[in-house]
Amino acid sequence: MKRIALCVCAAALALACKKKQAEHTIGLALDVGGRGDQSFNDGALRGLEAMAAGLRYTARGYQPLPDAEYEKLELHPPHLPIPPPLVLSGKAQEDYEPNLQLLVDQGAELVIAVGFMMEPAVRAVSARNPSAKFLLIDSPVLDGSGRPTTVPNVRAVVFREHEGSMLAGALAGELTRSGKIGFVGGMQLPLIRKFEAGYRAGARAVNPQAQVLVAYTGTFDDEKKGIEVGQDLYARGCDIVFHGAGLDGLGVIKAAQQAGKLVIGVDSDQSHVAPHNVLTSMVKHADLAVYLAVKDVLEGKFAGGDVVLGLREGGVGLAPAGGDAIAAITPEMRSAALADVERLRAAIIAGKVRPPGTLDELARFKPPDPAELGLAHAVAARP
Amino acid sequence: MPELRAKIFAPARDPLWSAIAAVTVSLVLSFLAIASTGRDPLAGFGYLISGALGGPGPFGETAIKSAVLILTGLSVAVAFTVGLFNIGAEGQLIWGGLAAAVAGRVCPWPLCLCAAAAAGAVWGFLPGVLKVRRGVHEVISTILLNWIAIHLVHGWLVAGPLAAGGTASISVAGTEPIERAAWLPRFFSQSRLDVGFPLALIVAAGIWFLLTRTSRGFEWRAVGAGQEAARAAGIPAGRRICEAMALSGALAGLAGGLLILGTEHKYPGVFRTGYGFDGIAVALVGGGTAAGTALAGIFFGAIRAGATRLQLVGIHPSFAELIQGMAVLLVAAPRIFQPLFAKLRPTPQPAASTTPVPTVQP
Repeated sequence: MKRIALCVCAAALALACKKKQAEHTIGLALDVGGRGDQSFNDGALRGLEAMAAGLRYTARGYQPLPDAEYEKLELHPPHLPIPPPLVLSGKAQEDYEPNLQLLVDQGAELVIAVGFMMEPAVRAVSARNPSAKFLLIDSPVLDGSGRPTTVPNVRAVVFREHEGSMLAGALAGELTRSGKIGFVGGMQLPLIRKFEAGYRAGARAVNPQAQVLVAYTGTFDDEKKGIEVGQDLYARGCDIVFHGAGLDGLGVIKAAQQAGKLVIGVDSDQSHVAPHNVLTSMVKHADLAVYLAVKDVLEGKFAGGDVVLGLREGGVGLAPAGGDAIAAITPEMRSAALADVERLRAAIIAGKVRPPGTLDELARFKPPDPAELGLAHAVAARP
Repeated sequence: MPELRAKIFAPARDPLWSAIAAVTVSLVLSFLAIASTGRDPLAGFGYLISGALGGPGPFGETAIKSAVLILTGLSVAVAFTVGLFNIGAEGQLIWGGLAAAVAGRVCPWPLCLCAAAAAGAVWGFLPGVLKVRRGVHEVISTILLNWIAIHLVHGWLVAGPLAAGGTASISVAGTEPIERAAWLPRFFSQSRLDVGFPLALIVAAGIWFLLTRTSRGFEWRAVGAGQEAARAAGIPAGRRICEAMALSGALAGLAGGLLILGTEHKYPGVFRTGYGFDGIAVALVGGGTAAGTALAGIFFGAIRAGATRLQLVGIHPSFAELIQGMAVLLVAAPRIFQPLFAKLRPTPQPAASTTPVPTVQP
């Protein structure tokens, strides 16, 4: 028996030593949300697989991504010379740490952790492997008592989601006919409150009479809950709903299809999920964050620290509203609304408008003077 | 239905060999499954083994998962001793985890584990009482109690009253982190191996002793073999059922405590386990005995820990569940079909049954 055990161990060790990866291998670990959410995780994967490596993930493994298809993406910078990446999904929360360690052991030159739930694992593994480089998306590194800190070998990227959400709120506020718009959040976290606060502020800026109904599903991975909550909001008279609910959001989009109403997607451009119903998407460019980090590693410019991506940096924004959903709106309304959103965007970038990122800030938020910004529709809507 | 269950769980004539055969066949089938998709099964199994045993780090991961699976497996096995099918280990595990996370704010880890066991025991005791007092079938009540636990804990407590405050700008899902003193002590710096694994083995030994070497264990088994007969022999069957269910719940609760105190160090916002349900598989393959359950728990824990690495050769990590599912099928199927075949086969039974049956047994 002992001999068998020894043989097994020897074989395992031999295999463990054999795995030498190609140069510039990049590793990426997902949380339990996993691949296929059409949203945040898929955004990060797009940055690594499509944009950096020029590959497409299929059931038979990686295939080269045809250029014609690649150019259809909103962002399509030149590919980087990296081999096929290593991507690990976490089956359970206790797998995050071993997965990150495994990527380090596999010789990954950069280890990407997607989602704030990976933060404790990144903190532990980066401390244990000071020479490895990490990219953490959606959370700063925290110290033992929960305060944000910086670590030399971790780049932590967070987004100013409230800026993009404010544009989404403005667009919804301009286009609503019922005067009621909705927001569906996932878990009630400060992260998702940023979406809510920005969205409500945007609606208030252009259409003070508009009512915003808010609901939270409490999860990020339960499409059924999204359908329920979405159906409820549409039944209560909302004609446009914005979601920031991960996989639950796909349920909200389904509810919009059933009700024949409009919905605003999140994180990735979700118009392909329901072309007739998705008005636009508040895109959070996790793909850009991943691509830039890989590029910096290849160029030897990678440094730890915090990175904040907002409208100005191109980290958030509205996806081009060019789908079938917007085509159903009268051209005058459409162009007026889009022009107003564009003006608001310019004002936020110029620092003239500060979108609120928390509900407290929202309570103190004073809508900008529409005349000063030249918001045509909003001025016309005033009594 | 009870007969069927009895047959599924009945100790096979040679439980060890039937389990080993089932596991071997399932490994061979999964080897072929990898090969049929055009991937390299040898490399896959190499990763599987190195991910489970190749060094202190991987072994630590195996130990963490094994400890939890051993305990949930024992939970199911103990309930089955009194003839109950505890599908509620998942809910009991969730309460155990929550109790550990709450106690971990103020107590050292041994007390936290006690709290976890106590919370699980309450959630296991409920279906026992419902069964004895009201005749509610435990399969129904434990399934429903699972959902109650999931919605109360995940949907409300962890997201609401017990949620970590955090700050306005930092997103932290789950409860406040536990104190350092509540972390399960680890043995090595290179590995996450903690006291959970030896503890689970000690508990398994304790359960073996309880079930096979004490009068209480004998009474539980007597109740499991036939409540009426046990009652006629003066055993308070109802009370024994409730006791066993409470112990069953305590074991599952302990498993939840190990996860929280060992690796998470708080109740996370997304706590996806499934270990409670896997306990059913572990107990089945383990033949319902303490030793068999411990071995099955270690085996499945190793497969789980190793399967993560299969992603490096493009195999989905759910592969572990494939192996597990096939092993269960192969262990359970013969026991389901054997009696069926026995009935189909022409037997000389009718002739035998005409002989007078002795009315008095010595």
